[in-house]
Amino acid sequence: MRRTFSILLRNPLSLLGLILVSAVVLSAVFADFIAPFPLHRGAVVDFANFNKPPEWPYIFGTDLVGRDLFSRILYAYRISLILGVVVLAIAVPIGVAIGLFAGYLGGWTEYVLMRITDVFLSIPPLVLAMSMMGLLEPTLTNGMIAVTAMWWPWYTRLVYNLARSEKEEGYVLAAEVIGASKLHVMFREILPNCVPSILTKMTLDLGFVILIASSLSFLGLGVQPPTPDLGSMVADGAKYLPDSWWLTVFPGLAILVAVFGFNLIGDALREILGAEQ
Amino acid sequence: MKSILKTFAAALVAASALTAVTAATATVASAETVLRLDEVAVGELDPGKASDYADSILMFNVYDTLVIPNQGAPGHQGHLAESWTADGNAFTFKLRPGVKFHSGNPLTAEDVVFSLDRMKALGSGLSYLFEIVDKAEAVDEGTVKITLKSAYSPFVASLVRLPIVDKKLVMANLGAGDGEMKDWGQAFLSGNDAGSGAYKVTSHNPQQETVMAKNADYFLGAGAKAPDTVRLRYGLEAATVRTLIAQGEHDISSQWLPPEVLKSLAGDGAQLLTESGTSGFYIKMNTTKAPLDDVECRLALANAFDYDAGIKMVAINDTVSQGKPSTGAILVGMLGANPAEMANKRDLDAAKAHLAKCKYKPEDINLELSWIGEVPLEERFALLMQANFAEIGVKSEIKKLPWALFSEQVSKPENTPNISQLFVSSVTGDPDTLLYGMYHSSAKGTWQSPEYLQDAEVDKYLDEGRTATDDAGRGAAYSALNKRLVEIAPSIYAYDQVAVFAASKRVSVPALTDPAKAFNLSGFGFTFRLMEMNE
Amino acid sequence: MPPVLRLLAKRLGTSLIVLIGVSLLIFAIARVIPGDPARIALGPNATAEAIAALRERLHLDDPFVLQYGYFLADLARGDLGISLYTNRPVTRDIADYLPATLELVIVSGIMMVALGLPLGVLSARYRGSWIDHVVRMVTLLGVSAPSFVWAVILMLVFAFYLPLFPIAGRISDSYTISSVTGFLLVDTLIAGDVKAFGNAAWHIVLPAFALALSGIAQAARLTRSNMVETYERPYIEMAKSYGFPEKRIAWRYAFKPSLIPSMTIIGLDFAAMLGNAFLVEAVFAWPGLSRYGVAVILRKDLNAIVGTVLIISAMFLIVNVIVDLLIAFINPRIRYSQRAS
Repeated sequence: MRRTFSILLRNPLSLLGLILVSAVVLSAVFADFIAPFPLHRGAVVDFANFNKPPEWPYIFGTDLVGRDLFSRILYAYRISLILGVVVLAIAVPIGVAIGLFAGYLGGWTEYVLMRITDVFLSIPPLVLAMSMMGLLEPTLTNGMIAVTAMWWPWYTRLVYNLARSEKEEGYVLAAEVIGASKLHVMFREILPNCVPSILTKMTLDLGFVILIASSLSFLGLGVQPPTPDLGSMVADGAKYLPDSWWLTVFPGLAILVAVFGFNLIGDALREILGAEQ
Repeated sequence: MKSILKTFAAALVAASALTAVTAATATVASAETVLRLDEVAVGELDPGKASDYADSILMFNVYDTLVIPNQGAPGHQGHLAESWTADGNAFTFKLRPGVKFHSGNPLTAEDVVFSLDRMKALGSGLSYLFEIVDKAEAVDEGTVKITLKSAYSPFVASLVRLPIVDKKLVMANLGAGDGEMKDWGQAFLSGNDAGSGAYKVTSHNPQQETVMAKNADYFLGAGAKAPDTVRLRYGLEAATVRTLIAQGEHDISSQWLPPEVLKSLAGDGAQLLTESGTSGFYIKMNTTKAPLDDVECRLALANAFDYDAGIKMVAINDTVSQGKPSTGAILVGMLGANPAEMANKRDLDAAKAHLAKCKYKPEDINLELSWIGEVPLEERFALLMQANFAEIGVKSEIKKLPWALFSEQVSKPENTPNISQLFVSSVTGDPDTLLYGMYHSSAKGTWQSPEYLQDAEVDKYLDEGRTATDDAGRGAAYSALNKRLVEIAPSIYAYDQVAVFAASKRVSVPALTDPAKAFNLSGFGFTFRLMEMNE
Repeated sequence: MPPVLRLLAKRLGTSLIVLIGVSLLIFAIARVIPGDPARIALGPNATAEAIAALRERLHLDDPFVLQYGYFLADLARGDLGISLYTNRPVTRDIADYLPATLELVIVSGIMMVALGLPLGVLSARYRGSWIDHVVRMVTLLGVSAPSFVWAVILMLVFAFYLPLFPIAGRISDSYTISSVTGFLLVDTLIAGDVKAFGNAAWHIVLPAFALALSGIAQAARLTRSNMVETYERPYIEMAKSYGFPEKRIAWRYAFKPSLIPSMTIIGLDFAAMLGNAFLVEAVFAWPGLSRYGVAVILRKDLNAIVGTVLIISAMFLIVNVIVDLLIAFINPRIRYSQRAS
């Protein structure tokens, strides 16, 4: 673990990723202290300063009711990170377990589990999440539920494919020959070999969950105003292009920075964990 | 590896060559004039179902009606009807001879009767305007007699919303359905034109675009400078419209562009077209639920609301704004309205005085301020109200409601939010169609009436407006109504809406630029035959 | 029966079962959405009687199982009902809008494979060099923003500030092309109108690229990391020590096996594209099915929701069958295990 971390620090790209991710996490956690206008995260109007291009003290400009965009982006990071972490914490264990059972056990278990997975995978993710959000009231919790519902099958599919090719590898056969239990083989032999792929996907996915949540917000199906949300900021701002460019560009860049950071780390992690095997 | 790269390079070269070819051919000059405009999807072509702005534009151009609104003056004039007489609850219309549908069939009294029956049978769109009709008969080929169930003096004004369809053509194209009339031609009319109007539909896709061509045989003659082809596009994004107009690829925007975008377009040299006096922005209070069941609390809010800030918020420049000061429940210029000088003003002292008389304590109040998700402008008004009400010590919460959810919630008073924001228009230009649906106790609980107002005096004046036969009597009833509606404040009358459209200089639209040529009917300014192309 | 056909038959069979599952899932979701579809369809001024009549016609008051039964019976006749949003048969709406979306997604898919795989191979082949770093940076950036952000940026830069490409639509107004397949790129060629073909191709570049960007990046990333991984496997070392030519090692022993995970993901990406298409379609006013799909979901247009989702899912399943068949060709182990079962 420490070795992994020191390798991450040595590579300039992953170092950049660590810096970006730390910056995002820190600004989310300490938004109350960093934000120049902490009250602007909520329902505040300042019509004297509305729709201002970036200028001091509004370094990212102001929105259409005069709120500081920079402050709002910091608070939006908080929401995005909570959403990302919770979604993955629920979706990954479910997806991985189903994938292992289906891939290793085969037969009817595989058939039933994979057909259910296929049903979820056969509906384009956004459409599935949209249908769910149409059904539920648009709140943060329900947003998490909808995104989780569309997220677990990706892990099932990934682990399923890995498990299917791993189970014919020599080391699995060896374990079976010496009489290891099925659970042992799945979780002790096959799972460790899937970890690099799962971890890579998870780091990448932290970014992608933020992306998907922003797409949902683009449809008006995400976190509700006045709570700041990067996706709805981009979507609402896009109406005012190209003139009020800051309304779209800064929240868009904020998404880019966060996701880019997670991607850089995920990428490096993949290299390192792959090399250690 | 190398070969992959080579293929990729070849593809790139091919792609850029294509771009060059098409760029060169994109400037094919054409002699005929084309007008391009946009509206929100869907464009409903079936005139019996027309209700929103896009539908109305289609209906007013593809179909004709018995009467049309006067230009530059209130009231209406004959169109397909040359003249009419009223005898109690019966109206007799003489039709203009020689009018032909696009199909070549002559337009007769049979068609009028059929259109009215069809409208009533479908029961959607604005058909509620004709529920009052008992029966329609063709007296002879050129005479129609319409009998009402009860007295309804603005009936002739309602006829601007009765498009006449080609009975013969529709009957030849009935789709599957039960009963003698099967589907009343719904399948056919949703994609085809059975009208007599100044424009014929050449292609129609409800989500994408309707293309119309000038009808050379129109009975009033085709305007020489009117566009030869009209392309009504649906569902364009604001940024797209803004760019297309700047690049000369689009002519008239919809009215749904945010003020900032209209401002940028005007700054780039676009002209601003306006339509006013047909709709208003109403902030509606649920009068059945605490604390707004107390009139003093309602009056406190109505006095605390910053009317000037609201109008500034929708201003485009110093001369044009999407809102004009409101003077009460009735739009300035309409029958019974107050004059423009009596504009609503914020009065914090009065607000505090009313609040002190309210039976609820301000610290116990937490208002639910809703806004319709499809209308982002309302979020800004919700924020404005929240700030305004906080100044008199009233707390509130903002809630975004998608239209579908809103229209479901208002069907029960207990689910209806304390405050809803709505743009309401008079679909016929008469105060009756503006106010009856909002404030009559028999109409409560629709999307227009989340106030759930139950007031005998209001009902009385509204009924008088329907039965009084002369304009003076009706005017008196509506003035009294207006006064009462200000006193009991079921709504905050935020502003009289001005629809603002950005347009290229290629087109002149007198009806939307010159008040002396304006129509007092929402959407009628888009009568294409009265527009002029400048090239 | 040859094994390929048997595999195909088996795959199609399971696809059909999955499709029935999808219809059940989406049918259930659509029915519990709050909001009365009849009230919404008839508009704000409809009478209570008209709403009741429409509810009856749509069988909305019947038990769920019965409703689903009616639906299946209609579906068997190729009837998906009437859309309450456009007032036209859902099948006709889909026939109108599907080709535009498919054209966009297929062109994006081609871009994804044609640009993503070579970039990934290039990056893996020259691992650690500046080529690798540039490709990685670019692909990482590409995958780090939602497609609508890219669409807006591309539109701003290449259609607004530098007016090189058209800003909206599928083809310029001046062309009238009679619809045969609905695919403008095909129809223009059938009509023999090269200029119109060029114009349609010119229109599709930006939206397709905006849609493909994250796919390109993802395909490149996966290809790269899988190839790097296979490069480190013992059999590559062995091949190297036997003195196999570098090219052959790269292609046959490193690229082909590393395609399997890439292709699985590409299959899934195709589904994401069908969904993401609407974000791009909205920005470029592209008259496709995704925009229609969003509109009907927001309006609780039950028949249209179910029809649209079913069609999109069917498309996706077909792509997946193709991907599975390709994988079976590439990986003999899976091919043999299929044959054995």
